[in-house]
Amino acid sequence: MGGNSKARFKLSLIALLALSFTLSGCGGNNNKNTSEGKENTATQTAAANADGKVEPFEISVFIGEAGQQPTPDNKIYKKIKDELGATFNYEYLAGDLNQKLGVMIAGQDYPDVMTGNTKLTAAGAYIPLEELIEKHAPNLKAHYADYWNMMKDPNDGHIYILPNYGVYNGKVNSTYYSGPAFWIQKAILKEFGYPKVKTLDEYFDLIAKYKEKYPTIDGSPTIGFEILNNDWRNWGLFNAPQHLIGHPNDGGVVVNDGVAEIFADKDYAKQYYQKLNEVNQLGLLDKETFVQNYDQYMAKLSSGTVLGMFDQHWNFGAAEDSLKTQKKDERTYVGLPLVFDTNTKDYYRDLPVLNLNNGFGISVNAKDSVKIIKLLDALMAEDWQKTLSWGIQGEDYEVNEKGRFIRTQEQRDNAVDSTWILANKAKTIVDFAPKIEGSYSDGNSTGADSQIEEYQAGLKPYDKEILDAYGYNSYVDFFSEPPANPVYYPAWSIDLVEGSEAKVVNTKLNDLSTKFLPKAILAETAKFDSAWSEYVAQIGKVNVKAYEDKINEQIKWRIDKWSK
Amino acid sequence: MDETLARKKVVRHPKKPKKQPITWSIIKSQNQLIWMSVPLLFYIILFAYVPVWGWTMAFQNYRPGRPFSEQKWVGFDQFKFLLTDDNFLRVFRNTLAMGLINMILGFVTAIVLALLLNEIRKVFWKRTVQTISYLPHFLSWIIVTGIVATSLSINDGIINIVLMKLHLIREPILWLSEGKYFWGIVGASHVWKEVGWNTIIYLAAIASIDPALYEAAEIDGANRYKKMAFVTLPGIKATIVILLIMSVGHVLEAGFEVQYLLGNGLVVDWSETIDIFVLKYGIAQGNYSLATAGGIFKTVVSITLLLLANWTAKRLGEERLL
Repeated sequence: MGGNSKARFKLSLIALLALSFTLSGCGGNNNKNTSEGKENTATQTAAANADGKVEPFEISVFIGEAGQQPTPDNKIYKKIKDELGATFNYEYLAGDLNQKLGVMIAGQDYPDVMTGNTKLTAAGAYIPLEELIEKHAPNLKAHYADYWNMMKDPNDGHIYILPNYGVYNGKVNSTYYSGPAFWIQKAILKEFGYPKVKTLDEYFDLIAKYKEKYPTIDGSPTIGFEILNNDWRNWGLFNAPQHLIGHPNDGGVVVNDGVAEIFADKDYAKQYYQKLNEVNQLGLLDKETFVQNYDQYMAKLSSGTVLGMFDQHWNFGAAEDSLKTQKKDERTYVGLPLVFDTNTKDYYRDLPVLNLNNGFGISVNAKDSVKIIKLLDALMAEDWQKTLSWGIQGEDYEVNEKGRFIRTQEQRDNAVDSTWILANKAKTIVDFAPKIEGSYSDGNSTGADSQIEEYQAGLKPYDKEILDAYGYNSYVDFFSEPPANPVYYPAWSIDLVEGSEAKVVNTKLNDLSTKFLPKAILAETAKFDSAWSEYVAQIGKVNVKAYEDKINEQIKWRIDKWSK
Repeated sequence: MDETLARKKVVRHPKKPKKQPITWSIIKSQNQLIWMSVPLLFYIILFAYVPVWGWTMAFQNYRPGRPFSEQKWVGFDQFKFLLTDDNFLRVFRNTLAMGLINMILGFVTAIVLALLLNEIRKVFWKRTVQTISYLPHFLSWIIVTGIVATSLSINDGIINIVLMKLHLIREPILWLSEGKYFWGIVGASHVWKEVGWNTIIYLAAIASIDPALYEAAEIDGANRYKKMAFVTLPGIKATIVILLIMSVGHVLEAGFEVQYLLGNGLVVDWSETIDIFVLKYGIAQGNYSLATAGGIFKTVVSITLLLLANWTAKRLGEERLL
């Protein structure tokens, strides 16, 4: 009997404890001081294992993109677990991001770490990181030293996100251009004796000539020019005018001397869309171009029948990969920095910028923020960075007598094999965690793709031929060297703040362009002007000023706060 | 048949039963029943009434993550934004139109298919046709819209190929670029996806018709069509009316995925529905209040339509839902 009551007493004690924990947890959620409270307990635990023993712990991570779970015995994750104790539990996005975020925010149901998103920031889902970094993360502190002010949230001055891209160390080698350009099939350049294409007119002339000469490619009708304007991938239609007058990608605005204005209704925009109207009359524009979705667009590109398009390289990389597997190297694309007239210097290629809306942030629900920041800090050490990016020496890459990293053909093949990657690379960490970019202290590039020896060794004969004909090292050389970025750059990363008038106007402008530009482009030549003036009149009805003011306010803020 | 007639009489001339006072003894004697309904009651309160509390969001400038007391109240501002927006009337028209098209087309095709299937004597063929016709129901809209977009393509879309081969058109038509086709395309996609599934309930209703009625009709000299018209259709009339009333309440649920996935700049005037509008200007902007206001608007319209349909049915002396 006595034992029984003792057990019952224990049980009720446990129940009481559990209840009190739950209640305190509930209360804490709405409490602004939570993060500090958690920090204290976290410091204690951190101190407890200061004797060097690796204590295993788990981190739950939400990734705001679709992805694949690494295999349970993944080589790199195993190494991380053995040496740093951390196990990552990833939740990748399935379905719609906004919907998922809505559910997470409504339930205050956050994992320990989440990729950056302005919605989550607005909902107060991240903890400020400044103090944590100052106290516990010397590597991260050094890594972000030059970017410290930029990382601060414009709304309250705290740092919530550790940006994953755009912080450079050492010499930046670049062999791959991922940004926007007018793309043209390599076969066309070869066909017409490697011309230097500078202007929009020359570009469409080449396409017209080639299409006339080859009305079909591999049995399918040749498509002259594609414009993808589908859902959020709308830049194919919207963004070209700013580049054609020699401006970098600022999103919906063009910035002159720190003053932004929208360009959608300006004359140079009209000039571009009028050209497209002409091109359509010549039958060069794909009839389905404004009707297709992303999958159809990619299918067309992958078939090799599309001669050119305006797009961002990363957006159609998969189609190029497919062309390469089909051994249709001549159908892959070269990016051209076109301008209206040859007096304008092209400014497509920019120096990489800090990606503010991406990377990792620690959530208010994180059980042990110090442990997480320490882990991220540990992974910033150069040895770990090499392991994450290149792999393990002798297995995934070799070091030659000059101390340069180089891969054997087998290792190269492995590196692009998605099944191999799932078992042998911590891809999600490489993609989303803070990282060294540029080169390591020993001069090797941080990525195999930008290691010049690796790039040259991996070149196909067809590409070698083209590059040799132009006398270039890589396709990046088609673009002008970019000048130093203006302090505010880029305007597209400005957070318009959820629910603000500026954001509503931005959506309206997008709606109008999506609706009226295709109409104008597909109109008969004589009707273009009236279609255009209708479009401009519609823009006139929207409160564009609210949008421009918000951007200008932020540009001014950035110039004030970010200038060193 | 006798039973239906009897019930109809009750509907037409309802005799008011004498109200029995609820006494403790009645409650006690029915306590098992009452206990059995408790979980259901909780379920309804929890999932149907508690969420209505969320409607308060529509009258606030709701910011997520803040306690209720800190939210800013803005009265009817969200509704004002919604109802005064240039696009909203257009969007409302589209939703209503596509909802009606889907509803009517869905009804007619499902009933016709059920009648036709009922006439097939070989069970094997009947099953085969039924299975094939309801399989698309299990596809998600993203797949269906993919199939639709591909079949409507001008390059090698099957619709254009067939029409060309039949010499009905000279040049392939770019179906998805013309607003006037859009509602039809959405309606047809709905029919293709749901017709088999909707048929099931009618087939079940048909199965419950007394075979003696068919025999009697046959003796009286009715042929196939007459049997269809005078036995089968009246036999499932109650089912039809009830389902019609129920679906009237859903007429504003014209859909979101089809229009979102098939729509483009050229047809946006015909394709945008309330749900898409709310997604763009509400949820995508982080303006959950506007999204809620849109939801309330839809609910109010739906309830009105539902009551209207129910009232009409009562007037016509038909089965009613309420």
